[in-house]
Amino acid sequence: MSAPALSLRSLHKSFGATSILRDVSLDIPAGTRHAIIGPNGAGKSTLFHLVTGRLRLDRGSVWLAGDDITGQSPHAIFRRGLARSFQVTSLFPRLSVFENLRVAGMRAAGCGHAFWRRIDGFAALGARIEEMLALLDLGPRRDVAAGALAYAEQRALEIGLALVGGAHTILLDEPTAGMSRAETERAVALLRRLSAGRTLVMIEHDLSVVFDLADAITVLADGGVIASGPPASVRGDARVRAAYLGAAAEVLT
Amino acid sequence: MPGETQLPASVSVRPARRIGRGGRGAALAWGGAIAIALIAPHLFASGFGLSLLCRMAIAIVFALSFNMLLGQGGMLDFGHAVFFGLGGFATMHLLKLVDGGLALPVVLLPLAGALGGALAALPAGWLATRREGTSFAMITLGIAELAVALVVMIPQWFGGEEGVSGDRSGGVALFGFDFGSAVQIYYVLAAWALLAAALMWGVTRTPLGRLANAVRDNPLRVDFLGYDPARIRFLTFLLAGLFAGVAGGMQALNDEIMTVSNIGSAASGAVLLMTYIGGVGTFSGPVIGAVLVTLLQVALGTVTDAWQLYSGLIFVAMVLWAPGGISGIVQSHAPILRAGRGARLLGPYLALLPAVGLTLAGTVGLAELAYRLQAVRGGARAGRLFGLAVAPTDPWQWLLPLALFVLGAWLLSRLAPPARAAWQEAAAQAARGVS
Amino acid sequence: MQEILLVLLNGLVYGLLLFMLSSGLTLIVGMMGVLNFAHASFYMLGAYFAYTISVGIGFWPALVIAPLLVGVLGVVVERYGLRAVHRNGKLAELLFTVGLAFIIGEVVPLIWGRTAVPYRVPAALDFPAFTLGGINYQAYRLFMMAVSVAIFAGLYAALARTRLGLVIRAALTHPEMVAMLGHNVPRVFTLVFGAGCALAGLAGVIGGNVFTTTPGMAEALGAIVFAVVIMGGLGSIPGALIASLAIGFIQTASVTLDAPLGAVLGRIGLPLDPHGALGQLTIAHAAPAVPYLMLVLLLALNPRGLMGARAD
Repeated sequence: MSAPALSLRSLHKSFGATSILRDVSLDIPAGTRHAIIGPNGAGKSTLFHLVTGRLRLDRGSVWLAGDDITGQSPHAIFRRGLARSFQVTSLFPRLSVFENLRVAGMRAAGCGHAFWRRIDGFAALGARIEEMLALLDLGPRRDVAAGALAYAEQRALEIGLALVGGAHTILLDEPTAGMSRAETERAVALLRRLSAGRTLVMIEHDLSVVFDLADAITVLADGGVIASGPPASVRGDARVRAAYLGAAAEVLT
Repeated sequence: MPGETQLPASVSVRPARRIGRGGRGAALAWGGAIAIALIAPHLFASGFGLSLLCRMAIAIVFALSFNMLLGQGGMLDFGHAVFFGLGGFATMHLLKLVDGGLALPVVLLPLAGALGGALAALPAGWLATRREGTSFAMITLGIAELAVALVVMIPQWFGGEEGVSGDRSGGVALFGFDFGSAVQIYYVLAAWALLAAALMWGVTRTPLGRLANAVRDNPLRVDFLGYDPARIRFLTFLLAGLFAGVAGGMQALNDEIMTVSNIGSAASGAVLLMTYIGGVGTFSGPVIGAVLVTLLQVALGTVTDAWQLYSGLIFVAMVLWAPGGISGIVQSHAPILRAGRGARLLGPYLALLPAVGLTLAGTVGLAELAYRLQAVRGGARAGRLFGLAVAPTDPWQWLLPLALFVLGAWLLSRLAPPARAAWQEAAAQAARGVS
Repeated sequence: MQEILLVLLNGLVYGLLLFMLSSGLTLIVGMMGVLNFAHASFYMLGAYFAYTISVGIGFWPALVIAPLLVGVLGVVVERYGLRAVHRNGKLAELLFTVGLAFIIGEVVPLIWGRTAVPYRVPAALDFPAFTLGGINYQAYRLFMMAVSVAIFAGLYAALARTRLGLVIRAALTHPEMVAMLGHNVPRVFTLVFGAGCALAGLAGVIGGNVFTTTPGMAEALGAIVFAVVIMGGLGSIPGALIASLAIGFIQTASVTLDAPLGAVLGRIGLPLDPHGALGQLTIAHAAPAVPYLMLVLLLALNPRGLMGARAD
């Protein structure tokens, strides 16, 4: 059996005296879609920051496709095949939608830091961006500055930046936050399509999205994993119901 | 810190032009630039005109290299003249070797400037580009002061107070250029300016150029897309230093002397002024700024001593009210004009005109009176202003410009908000009409 | 021995003057995050205002009026300039203050001329307080020290003890929180900026007559003040004091040392040709570069960078 796409081993993180994550371990098999849920303040976004190199771990290690990536810089981790999106939209506001996606696709297209080759000369990259524009429904907005887009369009572009680069493992932080019902459905279809053959890990509050997409669910509460497994088993877990679901329990039944 | 490098919002929200679509427009612009470079020396054939054109060519390259950092990469370099000056000194020393018998074509000497500028940018960039935003700016300020201190400390290399001078008419006459006539230096500098500008424009269309834009907008996200933002800043910094060095090399050929003042803070301030007034948001902005500021400097410099003050006031006014510079103003009106909504702006804009005129007249009146007062104290004659005899020691003469200024400023504070609103509405309508 | 003591005393005077300048900028940078490029220009204005006032009605009224005038100017600049460019980001704020420094640098010689003005130490304090090694030590310099020390004590007490000081210290680290608690943060910013400028003005009043009052005095000090503020750890008044004194001593002491660099480095085992271009440099030559070197290295190599002291 091949190594898991992502393996977290006993992660610890505190800010000052406040412990945010305690002994979080998790294996995510390659090619699966994994959702991380939990109440606000459970440490979900911190977990993503630790995995992608934004924050430093206190203890523990992170393994990507069998390689130890603990303590590496975000760009080094990306080059090993891990891409992410942000909960708070993080785009290039003065660049057009097309250029936003192109910047995100450059590393995979082998552009390097070249200042002697025309960027338009990377034909495969251009074609890939056009394809992504169509998938994101942003074709008509390709030349608009990202800062001038409507909120939902910015969220779609945010997902696009994570997906366009050809990473084998993708971390999405609340991809559907703030989207309408119809926009969410489109995003789910898009994720289903683009995650084929890749590993997808997402933090999501919308439980219908979670149960629609995820092969497995991890529930994080108070900085620790309280349940992890296939949706059916998590759905039935008494601790999950008690600690987290509460009023939302009827969605599960 | 994310967001620290954000440039003024008003420069920002407009569609970036699709590369490739602008192909014909770009070809037209470059053709025009070459044509102007060829025609200009015939229109301004006097020695004064030619020397003005030479200074413009140098300023264009210098300002474009500065904007590689500020406009393209979001880096405010307070010591950009360091690379300009050290490039110039490198060229000067090579020129002296040529004078001493080294068989090199003088025409190619700005290449030494490129090397000098890039070499100087290597340690400076290594230190400065680890940081972004205001930290970056402060480091470059320190580097600028260090460089000046170093140049003053080592007169053996930099000639102390007198600087280093040479003679460009020696060496190998490549392409027949022996600098026998004044127009020859112009053609050499114009060719270098076109070449350097074309190369810098080319860089904006490469992966590194695009990444520099991305780092300017959001360095954090670049880090998560597989690139080290510090490395992108570093490479951009080296290129900017290289092209500033070319400009310095051009300056060395033009003036045949380099001194400490070519490295100092005044020179760094001048390039910031030009670039910002022209506009940091577009490639052509610095070119406009370099031409205009050089022209004003020379044109106004012969009529008034107040030139420095005026340029400072223009700069602050731009920072406050038009952070996109001249090219930003043009660009924010282009879609409105294309959409045929320009006529609606005519009324509010025309109404502004007298207010602007009054404020300007008042400001100029006050400044000129002050400068004449200083001249009179120094024993010189006050002369005439706008055809009127000036007596700056007479308090009553100050009253008129003061009244004009106050009236103009009051009118502006009344009329500017409706004009701004009209512009915003027209821009919004134009945007809706297009998409 | 007495010579060393004299150097130390002069270093102390210069360091304390730097402190008065940098304490105002420390407040502004630490609290507002605005690297006020024009700070040394307000110092220059303080000196020139004091000169004009002291010619008219004497030094002692100038000691009060000139800093107040500079402070009012600072308030106007903050309220109608900085606040307007604030929304355009940090670089726009920096550029605004750069332009302001430029304009003040042009207007000052316009009003007072391009050469130094005869701004003199007040006659009441222009007598030797004591004699050291045959050199008279001016009483005015002791007065300068007293004023600087009083400023330090006053600022420290005000920040630690008063209600406004509490708000200022809170706004340093948590501006949103302070605003939510009902404090008018923009008004506090305006006050702090005005007070910082007034302090710079005061430094100009008491320093301009000991050193010289010329149009170049702002530029000469501008970058050094930044070096002090950054060395002192932005926002820390005691830090600014220590950094000011350190730079004051280094600058004053090194001017009197004229050993060639080649010989000095040779003694500690670093080979440098004592007859080459670098070897003939004296420490006096290299001294002015020290603050800038510290500025660059501290900013570039400190892992937390410029805003390390600010919690964000």
